[in-house]
Amino acid sequence: MRIRCPYCGERDNGEFSYLGDAAPQRPDGLEASAQAMHDYVYLRDNPAGTIRELWYHAAGCRSWLVVTRDTRTHAIEAVEPARDVARARRSGEAA
Amino acid sequence: MTTLALQRVEPLATASAGQPFRTASGGLIDRNRPRDFTFDGKRLTGFHGDTLASALLANGVRLVARSFKYHRPRGILSAGSEEPNALVELRSGARREPNTRATMAELYEGLEATSQNRWPSLALDALSVNALLSPVFAAGFYYKTFMWPASLWEKLYEPMIRRAAGLGRAADAPDPDTYDHAHAHCDVLVIGGGPAGLSAALAAGRSGARVILVDEDFATGGRLLAERREIGGESGADWAARAVAELESMPDVRILSRTTLFGVYDHGAYGAVERVSDHLAVPAAHAPRQRLWRIVARRAVLAAGAIERPHVFGGNDRPGVMLAGAVRTYLNRYGVLPGRRIAVFTSSDDGWRTAADVLEAGGGLAAVIDTRTDVPPALRRMAEAAGARVVTGGYVAGTKGHLGLSAIQVVDGYHSTETIACDCLAMANGWNPVVHLDSHLSRRPVWDEAIHAFVPGTLPSGMRAAGAAAGRFTLAECLESGARAGAEAATACGFTATAETTPRTDPESIDHTPLWRVPKPRGKAFVDFQNDVAASDVELAHREGFRAVELLKRYTTLGMATDQGKTSNLAGLSIMAELTGKDIPSVGTTVFRPPFTPVAIGAFAGHHRGKEFRATRHVPSHAWAEENACVFVETGLWLRPAYFPRPGETDWLDTVVREVETVRARVGICDVTTLGKIDIQGRDALAFIERVCANPFATLPVGKARYAVLLREDGFVMDDGTVARMGETHYVMTASTANAARVMQHLEFCRQWLWPELDVQLASVSEQWAQYAVAGPRARDTLRRIIDPGFDISNEAFPFLACADITVGGGIPARLFRISFSGELAYELAVPAAYGDAAWRALMQAGLPYGITAYGSEALSVMRIEKGHAAGAEINGQTTARDLGLGGMLAKKKDYVGRLMKERPALTDPDRPILAGFRPVDPSDRVRAGAHFLRLDAAPSLEADEGVMTSVAYSPSLRTWIGIGLIRRGAERHGERVRAYDPVRGADIEVEICSPVFVDPKEEKLRV
Amino acid sequence: MSEAATTRAPSSLWRPRGAWEGVAKTGRHGAANGPAGIRLTLRENFGLATLIAADGKEADLQAALAERFGLSLPETGAAHVEGERGLIWSAPGQWLALAPSPQGLRDLPEVLRGVAAVTDQSDSRALVRISGPQARALLAKGVAVDLHPRAFGPGRAAVTSIAHIGVQLWQRDAGPTYEIAVARSFAGSFWQWLEHAAAEFGYEVEASAV
Repeated sequence: MRIRCPYCGERDNGEFSYLGDAAPQRPDGLEASAQAMHDYVYLRDNPAGTIRELWYHAAGCRSWLVVTRDTRTHAIEAVEPARDVARARRSGEAA
Repeated sequence: MTTLALQRVEPLATASAGQPFRTASGGLIDRNRPRDFTFDGKRLTGFHGDTLASALLANGVRLVARSFKYHRPRGILSAGSEEPNALVELRSGARREPNTRATMAELYEGLEATSQNRWPSLALDALSVNALLSPVFAAGFYYKTFMWPASLWEKLYEPMIRRAAGLGRAADAPDPDTYDHAHAHCDVLVIGGGPAGLSAALAAGRSGARVILVDEDFATGGRLLAERREIGGESGADWAARAVAELESMPDVRILSRTTLFGVYDHGAYGAVERVSDHLAVPAAHAPRQRLWRIVARRAVLAAGAIERPHVFGGNDRPGVMLAGAVRTYLNRYGVLPGRRIAVFTSSDDGWRTAADVLEAGGGLAAVIDTRTDVPPALRRMAEAAGARVVTGGYVAGTKGHLGLSAIQVVDGYHSTETIACDCLAMANGWNPVVHLDSHLSRRPVWDEAIHAFVPGTLPSGMRAAGAAAGRFTLAECLESGARAGAEAATACGFTATAETTPRTDPESIDHTPLWRVPKPRGKAFVDFQNDVAASDVELAHREGFRAVELLKRYTTLGMATDQGKTSNLAGLSIMAELTGKDIPSVGTTVFRPPFTPVAIGAFAGHHRGKEFRATRHVPSHAWAEENACVFVETGLWLRPAYFPRPGETDWLDTVVREVETVRARVGICDVTTLGKIDIQGRDALAFIERVCANPFATLPVGKARYAVLLREDGFVMDDGTVARMGETHYVMTASTANAARVMQHLEFCRQWLWPELDVQLASVSEQWAQYAVAGPRARDTLRRIIDPGFDISNEAFPFLACADITVGGGIPARLFRISFSGELAYELAVPAAYGDAAWRALMQAGLPYGITAYGSEALSVMRIEKGHAAGAEINGQTTARDLGLGGMLAKKKDYVGRLMKERPALTDPDRPILAGFRPVDPSDRVRAGAHFLRLDAAPSLEADEGVMTSVAYSPSLRTWIGIGLIRRGAERHGERVRAYDPVRGADIEVEICSPVFVDPKEEKLRV
Repeated sequence: MSEAATTRAPSSLWRPRGAWEGVAKTGRHGAANGPAGIRLTLRENFGLATLIAADGKEADLQAALAERFGLSLPETGAAHVEGERGLIWSAPGQWLALAPSPQGLRDLPEVLRGVAAVTDQSDSRALVRISGPQARALLAKGVAVDLHPRAFGPGRAAVTSIAHIGVQLWQRDAGPTYEIAVARSFAGSFWQWLEHAAAEFGYEVEASAV
C-alpha cells in the first residue's frame, strides 16, 4: 500500500505505523464519566467500507495523519494532517 | 538400461559437431561461441545464446528429471518459466541451487547441472517403484495412508515421504554471493517484452514518458524470437531488435531483462527480481548475484503473453512429449530439432505451424493428429506431401518408450488404433493468457468462450492488458493492442501519445477447439506434471467430494509447488467441470498470489544478512569499551556495554560484583546514552507535560528534575523517566531505552491529535547528547575534576534532583543532572555526542585516584534491583502505578492520559499483585525470575498463584540472591514467607517477602 | 578542527570524535575498473540545529532567518543551501539549520527567542556528501523516494529511511550531489549499507575539505 503524506508525498506503507479508527474523541479526563472514557479507549467500528483512521509517518515527517480508506479495496480517498483535523474540530466545537 | 532411444539415431549429416540435434544453420545462438557444460557429470557442448534446456536437447538428452511422487522419467515440456518437469540442481558447493528450470537457465561456460530426486542415477532410479505403488500415492494419500498410529508420523512416515517424494537439495554452506535491492519509479511499467510489450513501450516511450520494460528472458522479443513471422517485411526477431535499439536510445526508458515481475501490490507497487549474474559462473567482482526491484508505476501495461496448454492423455509425461510452441522455440530460436521423427497432436491451426516449421527446417514429420474433423485442406496437403500420416477427428491415447518417447498410440475417428513411431510429440491445445499478475490483488479472471480461456477480469487500478495476456493471440492484435495500451497509459500520465498504425504482418489462423482430455487414455494421463496429479486423481477428488476448486487444489496438490499450475490448472478445472456437469466458469479458478515464479530468499534479504540483519546502534563510549575488553549485550538495536572484565576475573559474576562494590564504595561511570531524551519547549510546555505525565509538575522550579511516570490511556504504566526543567519554558524528558521511540510517537500523538491547541515543540535529542551516570561516594570528587571551574556542585549548591546547563573541558556545553538509579550519590552528565568519547576518557582519568570503574548494564541492573526500582520486567504493560508502589505520587487535580481508566475496579482491586522484595530464607538458595509465588501450604495451581518474581540479582551488598516481584497485597505482607515455585527449572524454595528497597531505605546516600 | 573547538579544549583529552571515525576509510574502494562511479565526502564539524516554529510564528521566523542567514525559509520538502550553510525542511513547521561549524549556530536560540524552539543537533547526525556519475543509481538502492530529475532536483529535501535507518537527504546541485544526514549511533550500520551498495560502481571516500 502507498499513502500520500500531505507533506512528504506518496510513500510506502512501511514508513507508517497504524493506530486505528480516528472517530473516537477523547473526553476531558476530569469531567467525563468512566463509561465515556471506556468507550473512547475500547469501542471501535470495523466497517467493510470507508473508514477514517490514524496513521503515523514514523519514518518520515512524524506527522499523525487521518487516512480515509476503503477496507475492502485499500483505495485511499484522502489523507489529512491529524493536527489540522483536530484543530478544525476544536473550532467547530467552539462555534 | 541407460541408453536413450535417441542416441541410437544417426545424427543429421548437417548437424553441428557433437550436437546431434542442432540444425546446420539458423537460430539466434552464436555458433562461434561454443559453451562447455556438464549434466550429471557428463561433458556436453552448447552455444552462447542457449538455455540449458536447448543445449540438452541439442545434445540429444531428453531424460532430465524424475517426478515428484512416482519418480517417473521426465523431460523438457516447455521453453519458458512455466516448465514443470525439467528442474535441476545448478552449480555446486555453496552455490548449489535446487529446482532451477532448465528452460530458464542461460548457458554459460562451465555450467554444472545435476538431475535431482533420483537415486542412484537418473536412468536407474530405485524409487521409481513408487510408480508401482501409485494407488498408495493417489490424491489425499497424506491424509489417508499415514493416519495411524499418529506417533509414527514424526519418526517414520514423514522422513520416509521426505526421502521418497521431493525436489532438490538446498546448498548446505552460506551463500557466497551478495544480493541487492533497488527502487525504481516510472510513468508506465510494461510487463513483458514480446510484440505487445515492445509496442506498448515504444508508444509510451516516444511520448517522453518514463518507461520501464520488464522481461524475464535474457533476449527481448518474446514469441517473436520463437516464430517464423514477418512484421512490415522484416523478420519478427529483426523487428524486435530494432524496437529494443530504439527504446535503449531513449533516456527515460529502462529495459530490465532477465527480470521477472513477480508481484503486483496496492497503489501501483510492483516487485521484480533481476538475475544480474545468474548467467555467469561467478558474479563479477562487486556485482550482486540478483537484485530485487521495488517498482512504483503510475500506469502499467500487462503484456506477459500466454502459456500453451498440454493435452491430457495416457503417458503424456514421457520425455519427448512437448508443447508445440516450445518445439517451434527450440527450432527457430535455438536451432534445435527436438526429434528425428516429430509428431504433432493438435486441436488448433496453431499446431500445424509446428508441422510447417519442422518441414521448413528439413526435419522429419511423422504425423499430425488433429482432434477436429474439419481441417483446412491446405494444411493437410502440406503434411501429406511430406509423407506424414494425418489423422483428423482422432486423438493420441497413449505413448510408448522406456526413458523417452518411441511411439504414440493413435485412435482415429472410427475408433481404430494405430501405433506411429516418433521420438517427439508436439501438443497444441490452445493458449492460456497469463492472468496470474492481474489476479494478485484478489481479482478473478473471467472466462472468454470465444478463445476458450480465462482472460483478465477487472484489472488492478491503472493496469491495462495487451496482446496474448489479454486474449488477443494474433501477432497483428498483439502489435495493435500493445501500442494502444502504451499510448493510453502515457496519455493518462499527462503525455501526448498516439498509437501509430501497426505494420502489416503475414496472415495467420488461430482456429481452435480444445479437447480437455482424451476420451479413453491408455495409462496415466497427467494433469499436473510437477505434482504428479493425474486425471484419475481429479476423478477421485470428485468421488470423495472435494469438488470446489480450492478443495481440489489442497486435496490433490494440483497447481501447487514451484510452477503454481501454470500448465495444469485449466486442465484440472475442465475435468472437474465435466465431472460435475458444470461449465468451466462456474467451477472457477483458485486465486493466484505472488510470487509469479519462485524468488530466492537471499534476494528478499539483500544486504540484511548476518550482522547486517538489522541495524546496530553504538553508544558514544563504544570505542573505549572495545579497547577495554567489554562484553556487549544487544538491547533492541543498541549494542550496550554489559560488563567490563578485568584480568583475573573468570566469571561474569566476579566482574559484576566488583563493578557494583566499586560504585557503592567509591565511584563508577556507566553509559546511559541509550535513554530517550526529548527536549520539550514552548509556551505551553508545562501544560503539555502535566497532561502526559501522571504525577504533578506545576511546582517544579527551573533547575530541578523530577521522576516522571507516564500512563497509557487504559490506565497501565507506559514508561517512566525524568523531567528536568532547564528553563522557564524548556524541559528535558527522558524515556527508557526500550520505549524511547514509542514515547516520542505518543508525545507527538498528544501534541498533534489530542491537544493541538497547545503551543509546544518537541525535539528528540537522544543522538545529540552522550549521557553518563557518575555514581558512588566519590562521584562529586570525580566530576569536579572535569567540569569547568566556576560551577559549584557542592551538596548545598547542587542538591539531589538539581539540574543545570554547565560547561566541561574548557567551554564544551554540557548538561548536569543530579539523579540516581543506583541509590548512590550520583549525577548524569550529558555532553555533545562528538565529545562523548573524550568525556568518558576524561572521567576515567579523573576518577583514577578514587579507584573508578566503568560499569555496564549488568551492574546497573543489580543496583536498581537492590533499590527496588521498577524497570522493563515490571513495567510490562500489565502493571499500574499503584502495583509498582507509585500510587501515592499520582496527581489528584489534573487531567492526564490514563487518569480515569486506572480507577477501574479491576485495577484498584486490593488483591492485585503489588511490587515487593524477596530474599531466600536459606541465604544459599538462588532465586529466579519467572518463579511463581505460592502460600507455603498451597498445592501448585492457577488458583493458588499469588504472583511472579520479575527480576533477580546476586546482591553484593547483601551477599545473597535477592529478587523483586509482584505478589498479591505485596505491600502488606512484608515478613511473611512464601514459596517461589519454578517447575520449569525444578526449583521450589522458601522466600521472605520484604521491602523492595534492599539498600539504603532511608535514602541517605543520595543526598550527601 | 574548528577554531572555537580548539580554543575551548585545552587538554588533548577533549578531542571531538567524528561520527565516521573508526567507520569509514578514505581512499578508493569497490570495483576498481575505470573511474569511480561514486564520491563520498565525509562531513565533520558542521553546525546543525532543529528549528521548530512556535504556534503562529512562522512569518516571524521567516523574517528573522532572512535577516540572520539571508536565506528564506524553505517550503515543504525543500532545502535552501548555499555553500556550507542552509535551511532544510524536516517536518511541518520544522527545519534543520546547517552551518559550517557548531559555533555558527550558537546564538540562534537568542535570536529566535519566542519565535522558534532551537535545539542544537550538531553532534546528533553523521553527514555524508554523495556525488559522482552513479550517485542517483546508488541512492535508488536504498531510497524509496523518486530521485529522477523530473521529481526531485536541486533544492529538494526528503525525510525517509535507507536500509531501515532513518535519514534526511537533500540535493545540492544537478550533478547530482546529495547530502545525507543519519543519526550518529547508526553511522556504522549505515556505512555498511553504503559500502555494499556502492561497491559495484567503485567509490572514492574523502575527508571533508571544510
